[in-house]
Amino acid sequence: MAAERPQLTESGDAAIVRGHRPPTLSVVPIDPERSATPGDAWGEALRALAERGDRQAFACLFAHFAPRLKSFLMHAGSTGVQAEELAQEVLVVVWRKAALFDASKASASTWIFTIARNLRVDSLRRAKGIDAHDDEVDFDLLEADEPCVEDRLHTSRESERLRGALAQLPPEQQQVLRLAYFDDESHSRISTELGIPLGTVKSRVRLAVAQLRRLLER
Amino acid sequence: MNMMDIRHHPEEERLLAYAGGRLEAGMRLVLGSHLELCPYCRQRLRALNALGGLLLEDMEPAVMADDALERTLARIDALAPAQEHVTQVSAPPPLPPGASWPRSLAHCSATPWRWIGPGMRWSRVSVPESPEAKVFLLRIAAGKYLPVHTHSGQEATQILYGRFHDGRALFGPGDFDTADGSIHHQPVVQDGSECICLASLSGRLRFDSPIAKLFGALVGM
Repeated sequence: MAAERPQLTESGDAAIVRGHRPPTLSVVPIDPERSATPGDAWGEALRALAERGDRQAFACLFAHFAPRLKSFLMHAGSTGVQAEELAQEVLVVVWRKAALFDASKASASTWIFTIARNLRVDSLRRAKGIDAHDDEVDFDLLEADEPCVEDRLHTSRESERLRGALAQLPPEQQQVLRLAYFDDESHSRISTELGIPLGTVKSRVRLAVAQLRRLLER
Repeated sequence: MNMMDIRHHPEEERLLAYAGGRLEAGMRLVLGSHLELCPYCRQRLRALNALGGLLLEDMEPAVMADDALERTLARIDALAPAQEHVTQVSAPPPLPPGASWPRSLAHCSATPWRWIGPGMRWSRVSVPESPEAKVFLLRIAAGKYLPVHTHSGQEATQILYGRFHDGRALFGPGDFDTADGSIHHQPVVQDGSECICLASLSGRLRFDSPIAKLFGALVGM
């Protein structure tokens, strides 16, 4: 593969990259789709970004993740305009925080997912501004940037296992799990949409997660 | 605090809602403070975050605006070089040895401790993204108790310091608890030390006694 042109698999992705100015730095060839462990390639792109501010690596990450983030956010209740804006913002954060990415803790897609989730919550925060009263104490000195430090290893191999485990769940369990990420509403809405009682939704969620964990522990 | 002592953890569906970014602000804050302290729940969350990553990976790509990458790079170029984190704030008062403020509170502010009864103080926490969220800190002296109550919505509590027993179970540092209308309880702080909790409430507390009702109405609980 030519070093100056990233390997892309979708024509839409290529169109986005083509419009961009030529990269100023050489790039490690990235071919996530063909690689045996796709997650690793995106991890490499993140490392290139962290170490050299590699714009071509960034363009590849953008081409792959931005359209998926936009799609994901629209499924989670954002309008097209909001989703476009947020997806771009997620990639800005990816640029800023690339050095914090740790492939031993999470796959690139998991890491980017958590950034998107937190940003969606933050976008609500920024929309409102309230002033503290004079006598109030502020907790700003506490570091809040990464409130949830993930603990142990999560390699791309584990993502594959997760994918396998998910595929083994009965369709109705897969459905409640997906809804938990895409639907902005509570379980009661899921209950209405699926036409099943709230208690059933809750027990189905519990079952689905328990089953997933069992499959992962095998 | 010995992390092995944490015995009360959030339920699976609540953790899933957290992973999916669907919890309301107060609950998210209290649950976030539990995750900071609890390696077991961080481990549980990890698989759910990975599931989110997998769903993201599997999304049918949407069409981005033609100039999306340019605009994003322009935003990156406009980023100020990492500013020094200078904040002029009144730091929260120190907690007793062994306890620390949850980092999940970092963007919040809180009122000073206010007296609400003998041996009972509280502080209202303001959550910027959700001004209507009822989040508060409770600081109750050893041997004291909250009036008997139930809940019109969901109550979430993270114990930061000390212990209480509410007739169902003993809760200690690091423990997380939720209660709703099906739970009618009276948290009693154990002898030996005061108890400090972070709590969120959707709906109101329903106190049994008229005096407690009056007190609840006064502080908006």
